[in-house]
Amino acid sequence: MSAIIAQLARRQLLWQGNNQQAAYQALSSGFAELDARLGGGFPVTGLIELQTEAGIGELRLMLPYLKQQQASGRLLVLIAPPAEPCADMLAAAGIDLSALLIIAPANNKDMLWAAEQCLDSGCCASVLLWQPQFNLAQARRLQLAAEQGAASLIVLRKPAQYLSLPVNLSLALTAKAQGLGAKVLKRKGGWAGEVVDISMQPHWPALCLADSSAATVLTAVAG
Amino acid sequence: MALYLYLQFPSLLVDCVSPLPAKVPLAVADAQHRMVQLNTEAAARGITLGMSLGTAAALCADLQLLPYQTERQQQLLQSVAQQLYQLMADIALDPPDGLYLRLCAMLRLYRGLNGYWQVLYKALQALGYRYQFSCGTTPLAAKCLARQQLNLLSADSTELSEALKRSPLVASELSLPAQQQLKRLGITTLGQLLALAPAELSRRFEPELLSYLGRLNGDFYHALNYIQPAPGFSRYIELLYDIADTSVLTAPLSGLLQQLSMQLKHRDAVCYQLQLSLHFRSQRQAIELTVGSAQGEYLPERWLMLCQLQLSRLKLTEPVSGLELSCSDFKPKQAQTSALFNETATTLSPLQLVSLLQARLGCDAVSSLSLQNQHLPELASRRQPAQGPKQSLSETALQPVTPLALRPAFILPSPRPLTEPVEITSGPERLCPNGWQLAAQRDYFIGRNRKGQWLWLYRTVSQQWFVHGLFS
Repeated sequence: MSAIIAQLARRQLLWQGNNQQAAYQALSSGFAELDARLGGGFPVTGLIELQTEAGIGELRLMLPYLKQQQASGRLLVLIAPPAEPCADMLAAAGIDLSALLIIAPANNKDMLWAAEQCLDSGCCASVLLWQPQFNLAQARRLQLAAEQGAASLIVLRKPAQYLSLPVNLSLALTAKAQGLGAKVLKRKGGWAGEVVDISMQPHWPALCLADSSAATVLTAVAG
Repeated sequence: MALYLYLQFPSLLVDCVSPLPAKVPLAVADAQHRMVQLNTEAAARGITLGMSLGTAAALCADLQLLPYQTERQQQLLQSVAQQLYQLMADIALDPPDGLYLRLCAMLRLYRGLNGYWQVLYKALQALGYRYQFSCGTTPLAAKCLARQQLNLLSADSTELSEALKRSPLVASELSLPAQQQLKRLGITTLGQLLALAPAELSRRFEPELLSYLGRLNGDFYHALNYIQPAPGFSRYIELLYDIADTSVLTAPLSGLLQQLSMQLKHRDAVCYQLQLSLHFRSQRQAIELTVGSAQGEYLPERWLMLCQLQLSRLKLTEPVSGLELSCSDFKPKQAQTSALFNETATTLSPLQLVSLLQARLGCDAVSSLSLQNQHLPELASRRQPAQGPKQSLSETALQPVTPLALRPAFILPSPRPLTEPVEITSGPERLCPNGWQLAAQRDYFIGRNRKGQWLWLYRTVSQQWFVHGLFS
């Protein structure tokens, strides 16, 4: 019996579910529980969409990945960050500030243009894009540029009902006491709908609630 | 044997006008309203040099006229000489429209007159100006022959001297009274004049005549001021039609960039910054654009792309009538190193990318971040215009700064008052501004609001709460 299977497999007439090729090359996210669900980590190239509120830890989730991406000596680009990026925090996380560019485009059109130029140039490892407005064709264009330049584009958007975009990975993040809850909305070559609880405790102990009783609730509210 | 070549450009001002779409007769008139330069179409309509303005206008109703500008003519001649300098060592200007080229020193390099001419011909064709030329054993002899449009190319001294002897006096540079005087004596060619004994001539004529003949013959030394290459590049072109659309400016601009690139290539140099000026017909101030490339470029396509991005941001209120491109300094080209076995093919270097982004978005929109040795959060991060990775790397190597423990990812440009309940998880961390201004000290806390956002808060001395950062 196994001889027949081996023979069929050799002639490539048999397709086995357990040895399928990953749709993309993965790079460890730095969080073991997430890596296990995502087939090794975040994609090295292409679009990654994060649907998240600002300030719940979405950048901290990406930092180990961004650090590895930057290790190739290529640039990390932040396009339209929500406020002034803090050099202390980025340097402490191991990001090389000399290979970091911050772009403040005047409008959405310039933002998409800048993202495409960065991705296409081949000298950027990762591009982070905050709150862009794009349609399907523009997303497809960015995806192609990212594949061309072997770069990844991380799009951070507010959680809402969006059209399905041609992305390699789409995650919806929610705040949890111990870190983040991530729901896989879409994954190329994998299943959607999985929910992972990511613990920030090992990396960022100060930014986790130990338990709710220990924290003092501030009642003094200004204004 | 000394050998010179004289190049005369009879219609520089007409030829430098950007190519005409249709056949338009074009002429340059001097202050006395006489035609001094014509294009071929004007000549075909029967207009001749020296004709008065009235006659010319009567002959050809749609004649386009340009005023004669001495400065502009001089500039053009200078730029021609600079271009030819890449090929020829000894070039002297002969204003308003001529160049002396000392040939004898260059013949060995180009293996004879033929090779020399081939190279020169190519360069002259690239310039696109009409010209006439001649060889001669002295500078003045070459000039005299060139002015007769003989286009003689020969190293044979007997042939050249024969041609000189046949030349009429009109082609010489003798003053009109002297020519009249000689004519009355029955002398009409230079040959007849040169046959006379100098001692006899000196008694009857002005000393200028003798000095001219001496230099023409090669008996007297004729000093020429050979040009030195000017540093940088500067060129102006007049557009025949006013252009109001910046995308149409591409065509004349790419011509200018091509010339710049040729000069850069010859010197094996690159330039980092170009000045592009758009001139207007009215007395309005010209628009000056500074186009920069952080890496340094010499290829015209790359510069054109950067210029186009800058131009596309520009709103023209008035059509452009002239374009000027200048570059003050050239820098030696530095080889770019890249990994041999890099899998990803990079089309741009980081510096090129920065230049590209800056050209479209403006210099301020693209910045890099550096860490300062400061404890106050608003001073610790410094944004500066991106100059490329190299510079900032050396800066940090000089004074390595260790980052402070726990800081938010984003600092709000101006702190906003806290308006919602938050859970404080750690703090306080007391920060006092430089100089121990105790009244301005702040106690920082880390807090989490109901939505799960991690905020960086501070409390002032007067117990007011502000949000200063986001732990993204």
